[in-house]
Amino acid sequence: MIEVKNISQSYVKGGHVKTLDDVSLTVREKTVTALVGANGAGKSTLLGAMSNVVQTMSGQVLLDGVDVRKIKTSEVAKKIAFLKQIQQISIRITVNDLVEFGRFPHCGGRLKDIDKQKVNEALDYMMIGDLRDRFLDQLSGGQRQRAFIAMILAQDTPYIFLDEPLNNLDIKYSVEMMKIVKKLVTELDKTIVVVLHDINFASAYAGHIVAMKDGKILSEGYPDKMITKEVLNPTFDHDFHIIDHDGKRVCLFFDHNQ
Amino acid sequence: MIWKRIIMSVLFIGLVIASIMIGSFADMNLATLRAGDENAWLVFWHSRVPRTAAIVLSAAGLSVGGLIMQAISRNKFMSPGTSGATDAAALGLLLAFIYLPTNVAITIGRLVIPAGVVQTALAFVFALVATIIFVMIINKLKIREVVYIPLLGMMYGGMIAAVSSAIAFHHEAIQMLNAFNLASFARLGHFEMIYIVTIPLIFVVFYATKFSIIGLGADFAKNLGVHYDRVVFLGLCIISLISAAVFVSVGPLPFVGLIIPNMATTIYGDNLKKSVIDLMMFGAVFVLFCDILSRLIIWPFEMNVSVTVSLLGGAIFMVYLIRGMSSGRVRQSKTA
Ligand SMILES: Nc1ncnc2c1ncn2[C@@H]1O[C@H](COP(=O)(O)OP(=O)(O)O)[C@@H](O)[C@H]1O
Ligand SMILES: [Mg+2]
Repeated sequence: MIEVKNISQSYVKGGHVKTLDDVSLTVREKTVTALVGANGAGKSTLLGAMSNVVQTMSGQVLLDGVDVRKIKTSEVAKKIAFLKQIQQISIRITVNDLVEFGRFPHCGGRLKDIDKQKVNEALDYMMIGDLRDRFLDQLSGGQRQRAFIAMILAQDTPYIFLDEPLNNLDIKYSVEMMKIVKKLVTELDKTIVVVLHDINFASAYAGHIVAMKDGKILSEGYPDKMITKEVLNPTFDHDFHIIDHDGKRVCLFFDHNQ
Repeated sequence: MIWKRIIMSVLFIGLVIASIMIGSFADMNLATLRAGDENAWLVFWHSRVPRTAAIVLSAAGLSVGGLIMQAISRNKFMSPGTSGATDAAALGLLLAFIYLPTNVAITIGRLVIPAGVVQTALAFVFALVATIIFVMIINKLKIREVVYIPLLGMMYGGMIAAVSSAIAFHHEAIQMLNAFNLASFARLGHFEMIYIVTIPLIFVVFYATKFSIIGLGADFAKNLGVHYDRVVFLGLCIISLISAAVFVSVGPLPFVGLIIPNMATTIYGDNLKKSVIDLMMFGAVFVLFCDILSRLIIWPFEMNVSVTVSLLGGAIFMVYLIRGMSSGRVRQSKTA
């Protein structure tokens, strides 16, 4: 179980501008939780703080009741996998190398049979077994994204945090990625928190939605409660139009009549 | 993969033998060695073998140091030479020459420290401080634009070199500074310091996976439970020790730390755990070849090795860059 208790964080000295302002959250087990909010709302920082990658000023993150800062980093890495927004990668490694890095917390770089097996499973699960000897710079955006998810899977953690995994993906790949994310919960019992920019993806695939603004959680709840004008308009400072489609809420970003 | 390794090994062994056998003392050859000629064996053990060992070690060291610098700065155009390490090592060595006895050991209490060790230690400390400051600067500025980092590093190195010049002027030691700045495997002085390079190389083999992981970024490394700052610090220590030992014993070998990692990467990839031995051999083959060339061109005299390394290395790197640009590889590494 992961509980966030009153964490605050600031990148500014003195802390007068807060990136996270007294945030508390209990992550729902075995669910896809979507984290939504405008740019700069603090979503990435919250995920970083939850996986002990970003230092906080106050408050604590409890992993199964223990403050993450008191747990050895290699032990945290066996419980929580955090995939940042994929940035530029300047080093040249193969898909197989990358996925093997995922086993680092378990084997420290010396792969045993069990590690190799987990690597193969992760590659198969993401359907990129045939790409394993390709270098990352020889892959399409969608394939590379799947390679990174495979690495996270090889890390074999119950908690997976993904920061904007749909960035740079076209519609087809985005849908595929979200289907995989959902399958990770239903088939492998993972607990996933994912930052999404497209609210409709959150509506369609998440079991829980958390809305953030200015370093605070404005509201959280089931998608049908969250995909409403009352919640979304203040979160994004934008006037949304919500329609019902086959029982799922769909959110329109603009109004044809305006 | 296995073929590349076999070809490289054959090339390596061939060049090592050639490097040992070629030299101005013509009476050292297979026949005299076999006959047990004392002079021949003396030259073999006291001149040829140390010299070839120095070439192999300095080349392997700079190649590995370059790759680690590139992982730390996440920039393919970085090397010990473009991060202040080499220039700071030169400054350290200069200060050692000016202020400390150069050929006698220093005695502190009962401890006797050979002068070469003192010089290397001073060069190491200067290189380490310089690279730590440099890495702090680039992290603070959050520059990720590929060309700015090496440019900044070159200016930074230039400033350190200017300080060295000023100090050398003041102490009328300009000639000495100029002599430092020409690399030679026939250099007098503390040649044996090159064997220090084996220590950081062993560390690199053990920590190979960690160095590859930090090349993917701090958050990425932390996610995998790697202590990013500690590994970066260890990496800077390794780079500085290699730069210092090479500088004290051989001198600056330009381009090696830059081009060898780049060329080796296109062949072997950047997963250090798999490629560290290949990388070292690749670097050694290149410098062995340059050295043999610089000994044969004006035989029985010998050209300065930094001249051949600069000419050949610069040309190869330019071809590599132009080809990379036209195939989109260089640009890709910037935006991908
Ligand atoms: N490394 C950093 N240094 C300084 N400021 C940062 C850093 N990372 C994020 N910020 C600032 O913190 C705020 C929240 O950022 P972030 O968590 O990335 O938001 P989001 O992911 O929701 O877009 C922004 O105002 C951003 O400018
Ligand atoms: Mg973000």
